[in-house]
Amino acid sequence: MLRIGVIGTGSIAAVHLDGWRQMPGIELVGYYDILPEAAERAAQKYGGRVFGSMDDLFAAVDLVDICSPGTAHKENVLAAAAARKAIICEKPLARHLRDAVEMVETCERAGVPLFPAQVVRFFPMYRAVKDAIDSGAIGAPGVFRSARCGSFPRPGRDFSAPYYADFNQSGGVVLDVAVHDIDFARWCCGDVERVFARGLTFAGRQYQDHALITLRFISGAIGHIEASWSHPRGNFRTRIEVAGDGGLVEWDSLDRPALVAELYDAEQGFRHLGSSPSSVTDEPYYAELAHFVAVVEGRAEPVVTARDGLEAVRVALAAIESMRTGRPTTMRDFGG
Amino acid sequence: MTNQPIRIGFLGIAHLHSTSYVRSLLAMPGVEVAGMYDGNEVLAAEWSERFAVPRYAGAGDLLAAGLDAVVVCSENALHRPYVEQAAGRVKAILCEKPISTTTADAKAMIDICRAAGTKLQIAFPVRFAPSVIELKRQLDAGLLGEVFTVNCTNHGSMPGGWFIDHDLAGGGAVLDHTVHVIDVLRWFWGAEVTEVYAEIGDSLLHPGLGIDDAGLLSFTLSNGIYGTLDTSWSRPPSYTIWGDVKLEILGERGVVYGDTLHQYVSVASNAAGKTRWAGYGSDMDAGLMADFVDMIRTGRDPSITGEDGMAAMQVALAAYESARTGQPVKLANL
Repeated sequence: MLRIGVIGTGSIAAVHLDGWRQMPGIELVGYYDILPEAAERAAQKYGGRVFGSMDDLFAAVDLVDICSPGTAHKENVLAAAAARKAIICEKPLARHLRDAVEMVETCERAGVPLFPAQVVRFFPMYRAVKDAIDSGAIGAPGVFRSARCGSFPRPGRDFSAPYYADFNQSGGVVLDVAVHDIDFARWCCGDVERVFARGLTFAGRQYQDHALITLRFISGAIGHIEASWSHPRGNFRTRIEVAGDGGLVEWDSLDRPALVAELYDAEQGFRHLGSSPSSVTDEPYYAELAHFVAVVEGRAEPVVTARDGLEAVRVALAAIESMRTGRPTTMRDFGG
Repeated sequence: MTNQPIRIGFLGIAHLHSTSYVRSLLAMPGVEVAGMYDGNEVLAAEWSERFAVPRYAGAGDLLAAGLDAVVVCSENALHRPYVEQAAGRVKAILCEKPISTTTADAKAMIDICRAAGTKLQIAFPVRFAPSVIELKRQLDAGLLGEVFTVNCTNHGSMPGGWFIDHDLAGGGAVLDHTVHVIDVLRWFWGAEVTEVYAEIGDSLLHPGLGIDDAGLLSFTLSNGIYGTLDTSWSRPPSYTIWGDVKLEILGERGVVYGDTLHQYVSVASNAAGKTRWAGYGSDMDAGLMADFVDMIRTGRDPSITGEDGMAAMQVALAAYESARTGQPVKLANL
């Protein structure tokens, strides 16, 4: 039975832990966090124990799930690789390209798998888009379009606020959000030749960030990605469309979901509640984690590799570079 | 005078919009579609018969028939010669978009109409879509507060015919579908596009087509707003509708998702072998025609000028220039 240890117990860890605790065939052993009280809260809620150091945790587990802020990924991954543990690392792999390269190369040398948590590949509707492409239904992809639009990550916990609002730590909306769509775009259309972007990242507006990214793929296909931390709070809008020379596949979160409740009471007025439930095993984070477990156990080939995570970071950083220079960034020459 | 019908002729009908325009005019009281001419005799005969509009043997013959105005709805490259012929012979000309295929042609058309005292209006029907009119009203009222950015699409189906003949069309999807949205954005904010970067795909979605059929424009406006526009002919024949005009506008107070053609009933047809969206609601082409007729009747200035048409076209030309050079192109000097 694969033993799981989680490093970092903030907001994304909660999503992973909801998956881990429902997954048969694994043991959720425990947690390490630089804030011991956060690890303690996780242990109380999800079971398992709190470890006082990363090394203590490594000694007790087979697979390390790194859910710390991006700035801590490198330290966590290098330590786990030295301990010869299989690693899941949240996206983005790293804030800086040289760090991501070092992490990937270190894991390759150590012979430990490093799975970048590019979870969009596990969202069922995105998976269906990819399946449609793979089936040949739309021919060769020509125009890729996607959007991932939410509000600025709120200063809910005292440590999360400065992370997202500090570009030097988070890389802003492009590295934190667009990296999802960049990875999915590469999955659909192959490697990127060049990237151009405009946005709010360097506009000097507090708690606003947004980007419109234009891609040219080596295949000749073109792509457009919108990533936003400036949309109104209360909704998260995503959209995907791929047009090929034989058809088109698209999905939009604005379309009506499987379940809609409309309610009225005098206190809250009219409420419109939509949801699109899926079975536990199709829930994207669960599906992602279960897939990585299956790969570690030799039951599946990885659908996303450390090199994919690295290239997603590289393209995201190239988009940021384009925003800074006002010119397209050519991927061949781009080294961070 | 007011009891006299307004006599309108069609000078060139090769553009698909001519059928919609003539239907709108034929349904309008006080308007007479007095005649038509097109250099393609087969096409002209068919169109003339279909709409019961008299066919003339030459453009000069049609212009000698005592017209108040003409609609120029020909292939793009023929806009200039038709407008030059009509200038001074009619009070007003409605010219299909894009105004022309080069800046020199556009300037010549504007100049000759001004010199001849003929009003020149460019056909941008999207300004007359009720959802777009309402969106402008909301923006003017400050619905979004300060606006940051726009994410736009004007997708279409590959139209074929002269649209893919570079000599007649001047360009493919980028020229065809840049101008509608850029015109609307210029209208919303009274701002000009200052810089364009573009990724353009030649024969990308239609192998062997021989002209651009996909385009992504990334631009800035003179009021500081930045945005993108997808001009691709990316709606396959199997799709539910020919295309779209979508404007997603993000500002400090929120976002508006505008989807001009998202007023439809869904028609599943075994005969068609697919499901089709049949639009309902106010016809933007009819709105454009009513505006044009009102201009003729009242003698007021055009609501969409030749300069508007030229500015929108120049954004498309700058996009081609950007794709050629691989760099953003500034528009100040065009």
